[in-house]
Amino acid sequence: MMRWLSALTLNQKLALLALTLGVGALFISPTRGGAVSIEPDELAAMVQKEVDHVTADDLADWIIQGRADYRLIDLRDEKAYAEYHIPGAELVPVAQLPDAALARNEKIVLYSDGGIHSAQAWFLLKARGYKGAYILLGGLDTWRDTVVYPVLAENPAPDQAERNAKLSARAAHFGGAPRAASAVVASAPALGSTPAPGSTAASASAAAPGSTPAAPVPMPKVQAPGAPAAATAAPAARKKKEGC
Amino acid sequence: MTAPFFKYGAFGDETSLVIAFVIGIGFGFFLERAGFGSARKLVSQFYLNDLAVFKVMFTAIVTAMLGVTYLSWLGVLDLSLVYLTPTYIWPQIAGGLILGVGFVVGGYCPGTSVASMATGRLDGLAFVLGLPAGTLLFAELFPLIQRFYDSGGFGQRTLPDVFSLPYGVVVFAVVLMAIGGFYGASLLERRFGTER
Repeated sequence: MMRWLSALTLNQKLALLALTLGVGALFISPTRGGAVSIEPDELAAMVQKEVDHVTADDLADWIIQGRADYRLIDLRDEKAYAEYHIPGAELVPVAQLPDAALARNEKIVLYSDGGIHSAQAWFLLKARGYKGAYILLGGLDTWRDTVVYPVLAENPAPDQAERNAKLSARAAHFGGAPRAASAVVASAPALGSTPAPGSTAASASAAAPGSTPAAPVPMPKVQAPGAPAAATAAPAARKKKEGC
Repeated sequence: MTAPFFKYGAFGDETSLVIAFVIGIGFGFFLERAGFGSARKLVSQFYLNDLAVFKVMFTAIVTAMLGVTYLSWLGVLDLSLVYLTPTYIWPQIAGGLILGVGFVVGGYCPGTSVASMATGRLDGLAFVLGLPAGTLLFAELFPLIQRFYDSGGFGQRTLPDVFSLPYGVVVFAVVLMAIGGFYGASLLERRFGTER
């Protein structure tokens, strides 16, 4: 045996070593996730710097561009998900989050109706060592008010006209329609009963899942199963391919 | 201490740049010692008379793969935190072809051009100057190619995911591929080689 081994060249010995380790690899499984600890200072600093936010505008751009370097997680219940969800979102109710098939090297964008559930889920993921967890700023409320039913400036100046056109096209992509500013003023009381848009820490609707939020405009039925609108076909196809 | 050190907050941004610099110098040193500071050596793999580049790179892949596998098995490395570049299949194929053509024509890839410049070669210097020029061109053209740039996204994929195979089986298969590749390379060198 030893004589046979010493007859080999260095290259052959190294190849033999690699082969041995390769055979060994068949019988071991790499550990996924070691010791995890919460760093309160680090988390607090992240909250302070607001680096953990994704705005509705950014998310809409990502979806239109067909980016696939993130996972979009809907934290609400099945019923709410069936009624409406952001294209490409995966349903993971908060209770199932600890068992969800999420990898800790992924960029994970969380959303709920407002901001409370996604903030709590964000903390849960951070504490378990998920470094790439993000919150959709303002949740579905802000998504609805800025992307699906954006408010257009009336009597627009030339630079605003361009922005209006872009917002309208984007709203159409997501099955919504722009609103005129005057219409929003008319429905102000209804809007007022929902939390102020942009505040992640206040959402009555997220805190009480049973109650439906007093939405001024219902969400479009863009994700009705079996009959996707032309505009949503591309993101739906992308999601199917993603399946990891 | 558990790796990856940066993700676990063992050091900050500034320190990470210093460490990257040291690793980069080491990488360049070994590229140069392997003979990869010379464009002749590098392109001779495309004429099949010297496959040192293929052999060195595949050796590096197998060494790193076995190291990562066993370190994560021992619990020293948290594999789930190692960053994976998301797959964008079409733009990545196009990028690979552009890099390959540039490699054949120019004689260097980005890393080896820097190693070559450090040894005083002027073609290496020309190549290194081309890097920011190409980056600038890309940035200026970006609005035109952004649709393509974002197309074909599959997210973060690994071979065990794609083939639904256990991790260890893929490791073993890659080792077999490497050994087969080295044997094939030595046959090609014997057939087309000028010196050996």
